[in-house]
Amino acid sequence: MNKIIHLLKLGWTILSKPAVHLSLGFLTISGFIAGVIFWGGFNTAMELTNTEEFCTSCHEMRDNPFMELQTTIHYSNRSGVRAICSDCHVPHNWTDKIARKMQASKEVWGKIFGTIDTREKFEAHRLQLAQNEWTRLKANDSLECRNCHQFDSMDFTRQSKRAAAQHSSALASGEKTCIDCHKGIAHKLPNMEGVREGGSPH
Amino acid sequence: MKLTRRDVIKAQAAATAATVAGISLPASASNIITSSKANKLTWSKAPCRFCGTGCGISVATKDGKVVATHGDEKAPVNKGLSCVKGYFLSKIMYGKDRITTPMLRKKDGVFNKEGDFTPVSWDEAFDIMEEKFKKVLKEKGPDGISMFGSGQWTVHEGYAAVKLMKAGFLSNNIDPNARHCMASAVGGFMRTFGIDEPMGCYDDMEAADAFVLWGSNMAEMHPILWTRIADRRLSNPHVKVAVLSTFEHRSFDLADIPAVFTPQTDMVLLNAIANYIIESGSVNHDFINKHVNFREGVTDIGYGLRPTHELQKKAKNPNSGASTPIDLEAFAKFVKPYTFEYAEEMSGVPAANIEKIAKLYADPKIKVMSLWTMGVNQHTRGVWTNNLLYNIHLLTGKIAEPGNSPFSLTGQPSACGTAREVGTFSHRLPADMVVKNPKHRALSEKLWKIPAGILNGKPGSHAVQQIRDLKDSKINVCWNQVNNNVQAGANINEEILPGYRNPDNFIITSDAYPTVTAEASDLILPSAMWVEKEGAFGNAERRTQVWYQLVNAPGDARSDLWQLVEFSKRFKTDEVWPAEILAANPEYKGKTLYEVLYKNGQVDNFPLSQISPDYENQESKDFGFYLQKGLFEEYASFGRGHGHDLADYDRYHKERGLRWPVVNGVETKWRFKEGSDPYVAKGTGWQFYGKKDNRAIIFALPYEPPAESPDEEFNMWLSTGRVLEHWHSGSMTQRVPELYKAFPNAVCFMHPEDAKKRGMRRGDEVKVISRRGEIRTRIETRGRNKPPVGLVFVPWFDASQLINKVTLDATDPLSKQTDYKKCAVKIEKV
Amino acid sequence: MKALTIKNAMTFAMTAVLAISSIALPLTASAEEKVIDNAPQVSTLRGTAPLNAEVTPPIIEMVENNDLKRQRDYPQQPPTIPHDISKYQLDKNFNKCMDCHSRKFADEAQAPAVSVTHYMNRDGDFLGEVSPRRYFCTQCHVHQLEGKPLVENEFVDMEKLIRQSHKQAK
Repeated sequence: MNKIIHLLKLGWTILSKPAVHLSLGFLTISGFIAGVIFWGGFNTAMELTNTEEFCTSCHEMRDNPFMELQTTIHYSNRSGVRAICSDCHVPHNWTDKIARKMQASKEVWGKIFGTIDTREKFEAHRLQLAQNEWTRLKANDSLECRNCHQFDSMDFTRQSKRAAAQHSSALASGEKTCIDCHKGIAHKLPNMEGVREGGSPH
Repeated sequence: MKLTRRDVIKAQAAATAATVAGISLPASASNIITSSKANKLTWSKAPCRFCGTGCGISVATKDGKVVATHGDEKAPVNKGLSCVKGYFLSKIMYGKDRITTPMLRKKDGVFNKEGDFTPVSWDEAFDIMEEKFKKVLKEKGPDGISMFGSGQWTVHEGYAAVKLMKAGFLSNNIDPNARHCMASAVGGFMRTFGIDEPMGCYDDMEAADAFVLWGSNMAEMHPILWTRIADRRLSNPHVKVAVLSTFEHRSFDLADIPAVFTPQTDMVLLNAIANYIIESGSVNHDFINKHVNFREGVTDIGYGLRPTHELQKKAKNPNSGASTPIDLEAFAKFVKPYTFEYAEEMSGVPAANIEKIAKLYADPKIKVMSLWTMGVNQHTRGVWTNNLLYNIHLLTGKIAEPGNSPFSLTGQPSACGTAREVGTFSHRLPADMVVKNPKHRALSEKLWKIPAGILNGKPGSHAVQQIRDLKDSKINVCWNQVNNNVQAGANINEEILPGYRNPDNFIITSDAYPTVTAEASDLILPSAMWVEKEGAFGNAERRTQVWYQLVNAPGDARSDLWQLVEFSKRFKTDEVWPAEILAANPEYKGKTLYEVLYKNGQVDNFPLSQISPDYENQESKDFGFYLQKGLFEEYASFGRGHGHDLADYDRYHKERGLRWPVVNGVETKWRFKEGSDPYVAKGTGWQFYGKKDNRAIIFALPYEPPAESPDEEFNMWLSTGRVLEHWHSGSMTQRVPELYKAFPNAVCFMHPEDAKKRGMRRGDEVKVISRRGEIRTRIETRGRNKPPVGLVFVPWFDASQLINKVTLDATDPLSKQTDYKKCAVKIEKV
Repeated sequence: MKALTIKNAMTFAMTAVLAISSIALPLTASAEEKVIDNAPQVSTLRGTAPLNAEVTPPIIEMVENNDLKRQRDYPQQPPTIPHDISKYQLDKNFNKCMDCHSRKFADEAQAPAVSVTHYMNRDGDFLGEVSPRRYFCTQCHVHQLEGKPLVENEFVDMEKLIRQSHKQAK
C-alpha cells in the first residue's frame, strides 16, 4: 500500500513539473494525438460495454432479462431486425449516453455486492428495476422505442385493427407514449399491484 | 374518436358476416318472439367426459340433439366453471366421421387381415368375433384372449367387462389404459396404506396454506382444480405455491417457488426433505409412534423391460417389492446422505429453494397439500416416488385433515371409479381385492353367484405385457374399448404395430371415431359415447357421479356396455368353463354366459318400470331389465361394509355425486381420521385401516437412475404429455373445430439456445429420433412450455405425429406403468 | 426446399380433407414402406401416411388476428379470442388481458368487458372485482390458428331447431 502511495506521489511530482526539454508545439500536437487516442479508446471501450456479449457476460443479466428476451418479438421476428440490450436501455445521443453510463456505475456496485445474484433477489427487485426504465422512457417520450419505431413510418393499414386504432388516436395525439401501453414486452412484468389496476392480480 | 374505432370494426364484422351468408341482414335476427314450447331446452346433469377432476356439466338437449354445455353451478367440484374442453363437450359427438356401423376388413366378401374395411351388420361382426374367440379359447385357453379398456369405461361397463373376462372367459388378461396412467399411484397407496385412493378431497384446496406440485401441470391438465388453487392463492397472500417439474409450464405462472429439476431426481429431493424434517427436529413423534411403521425396500429392481433386455438382466432384484422392518433411527440414517447440497448437485435446484419447499412441510403451522400426476406416476420408480411423497406427510403427521393432504390426481374421467374401484386391472377384483388371494376369489365367486373355485388365480397380462404377448403370438384375440393404444402405448413401431398386424391375431376395436387403433385393427365396432348412454364415473376425490342417457347414438352405434352383454349371449358355459366344475355344479350346464353373468337373478333384479320415464335407456329396453342399476347394485355389494360403501343407485341420479365411503347416507370427506371417517374408532385419532395394525408405512427407498439417459449421440431428454385443449388421444377434441384450431398439431418445444446450437429456428421441420423410432415435427421455441437446455417436450395428442414411436417401453417394475417422461433422443433438421 | 415443404403441407391437408369424405373407402396413396398393408382407410386425423411412416408436418400456422367477433354455438360458450395473445403476460404478477377487458378500461379499450359471471365466487356471490378463480383466462378462452379443421363438425345450432319446431307448429 505504501509503495503505491509512493509511486503515485512520484508520478504527480513528474506531471506537475513544467516541461523543460520539450517544445510547446510538440506538447500541443502530442496532447492532441493523445486526446484523440484517449477519446477514441474511451468511446470504443464504451461501445464495447454496449454489446450483447458484455451485457450478458454476467449471469444476472444472462439468466434473467436476456433469457426472457429470447422468446419475445424483439429477439426473433419475421424480418430478422432485432434489438440488443443497449438499443432499448442506453440512449443513443452522446450526453444522455454518458449520463446513463455514469448511472450504470451504481449497477457495477450492485454486481459486486450481489444485489440481484439469485433469481429470487432479481424477482424482489424486478418492480424497482422496471420502474426505473418506465420512468426514464416516459420522461423521454419513449425515445429508445422511437429510434426504430418511428411514428411517421407507421402504416396503420398494415397493423392489426386494435393496434391501428390506438396508434392513430392516443399515440398520434401525444396523449400516450409507447411505454404507457407496451410495458413488459421484452421481459416479464413484476407484480403490477398498484401499478396498473386492470391486470393486477389482487 | 373513442366512440368510432371499435364501431368501425363492428360494422365490418356485421358486413362480413352478411356477405358470407350471402344475404342482407335477415329480419328474423331482430325478432325474438317465439312460442315458449319451441324455445324450451331440457337441461340435465352429467359429469365431464375428459379428465379425472370430474366437473359437473349442465347439458341442454333439444329434439334429440345436445345443443349446449356449461359448468353446473350446483356441482361442488366446479361450481359453474368448466375449462375450454368442458364448454365444448356439446360438439364432441358430432364429428362428421362418427363410426355408425361395424366394419370388417374383407377381401372377396370374406374376412381378410389384408382386406379393406367394409360395413357389416352387428350379427356378422359378432359372428366373426365369436368364431375367433372360440378358436383361440379352444387352442390356447383363457390366456390366449385379452381385453384392453380404460378409465373412460363407465362404472357399469368396466364391471360388465371384468365379469365377462374374469368370471365368464376365466381370463385375467384384462387391463385398462389406466395402467399407463394411474398404476403407480395405486401401487403407492396399496404399499403405504393398504387401500387405494386419496384420503383427502378437493375441499383441501380451500384449507391449505401451501401447495406443492410434484410433476403435475395442473394449469393445463386439471384446469378447474387449478382455479380453486388460484382462488386460494390470489385471495390469501400468505398462501405459497411451489411448482416442481422437469420443464417450465403454465403452472409456473402461479409459482412462488419454481423448481426445474433434472429428470428422476424428484426422488433425491423427496429424501432430502425427509432428511431435513428429521434433522430440524420437525418429526411428529406422537403421530409416528401411534400410526406409522418403518420399512426398508429392496433395491435395484430393474425397469420392467423384456427379460431379455440388458438392463433387466443386470438388475439384482427384478420386479421385487419386498421390504424389511426398520425404525425411525435406521430411516434417519438412510436419508442422512440426502443433504440439500447433494440434492442441489443432483437436481440442479438451488439448495435455498429446496429448503424453502422443505420448510412448507416441516413447519407445523403450515397446512400443506402435495399434488401430483404423470410426472410421478409415469416413472420407472413411480411406486417408490409415491411412497416417498407419503413419507414426508407421515413424518410430520400432515395427513387426512383439511388442508394437510398428499393428493394423487387422476387423468381419466373414471380412472378411480372404474379402472381402480371396479378393478379392471389384470391382477384385481372389485373393491381393492386381488385375484391372487384365494379368500378374495371365494368372496367374488359368492357375490357373482358362480361356482366355487372357478376364478383364475394367476394375474393376467397387464397393458404392456399384452402388447408384447400379441407380438409374440401368445395372445391372439384382443378387444379394445374406450382407448387408442396404437397412439397411446410406448414404442409403437417395435412393439405395438407388429402385434396388431401379426397374421395370427384378430384385433377388435370399439370406438366412436376412426382412430389409428381402429385403423390397425381387423374389426371396428361403432360405440355410443358419453350422454348417448346411461353411465357413472368416479373422480379423483372418490366422488361417484351418475348420468342419464340424454340422446340416441347415431346409426347402429351401441354402448360398450350393450356390446359386452350382447356378446355374452354367444357363449355357453360348456364352451368356456372346465368340465369338472360344470360336473360338480350341473345347474350351470347349458347356460349362456349372458344368463350366468347378467340375467343371474341379481343384475336383472330391477324392472324397466324403475327407469326414469323422462329419459331413454337403450340397453335396458333391449335386455328387458334396468341393466345399469342391476350392475351397480351387484357391484356395490363388494364394497359395502368394507370401507368402499356406495349409496343406493337411485340416489346418485339426484345428487351431484357422493364421495365414498357413503355410510348411513353420509359421504366421507377425509378418510382415516377420527370424526370424519365412520370407519375410524373413537379415541384413536387416526386409523390407517387398510393395514391390519392400522399403521401406514414409511419406506426407506433410495434414488435409482432412469432406464435411459442422454448420452453423446442421443443427447436430449424427451418428455411427452398433454396440452390443455386436447384430452385422451385427441380423438374427440381434435374433432371440435375450436379446440383443433387452438392447438392443431404437436410441436417439439425446445430451449432457444438448444435450437441455436443446432442451427434450428421456430417452425423448422425436424426429426425427433430415439433408438426405437422417429417422428417428424416442427420446432417451437416460444409458447406455453419452456424446457431447460437439454430437454424437449412433445405432446402426444396428434395422430399425424405419433411421438410414442420414439418413447421407451420401460415401466415401473412394481406397477408396470410406462415411463413416458424420460428417454434419450436426438433432434435433426430435415 | 421451402416451396417443397409448403407443397407437401398442402398435399397433406388436401388428402386429409379427402379422407374425411371417404370413410370406409380405401385411398390409393404412395406408401413409402409397406409394413402396414396399405394406406389408412378409415383414420381421418393422419392424412394418407401409413401408420409406420412419417410425413412432413403441417407448418405452424399464424394466429387469426382480425379482431372480428365469432359466432358462438350457444349462449354459454366462452368466446374464442379473435386476436393474437402470444405477447401477453398472464401470470401471478400481471394479467395483460384485463388491461383491455376489465370493466375499468372498457371505455378506453372498447374491448368487451368480462361478463358478470366472472365476478361470482364459488358460492355464487358477486364480488367487487373479478373472481380470482377466473384469473387465468386461457383456461376457457383460446386463440384460433389459421387453417382448416381436419374433420367437419355437424353440431346443430339450437336456433335452427327452434325455428324448425316453430315451422312445424304452424
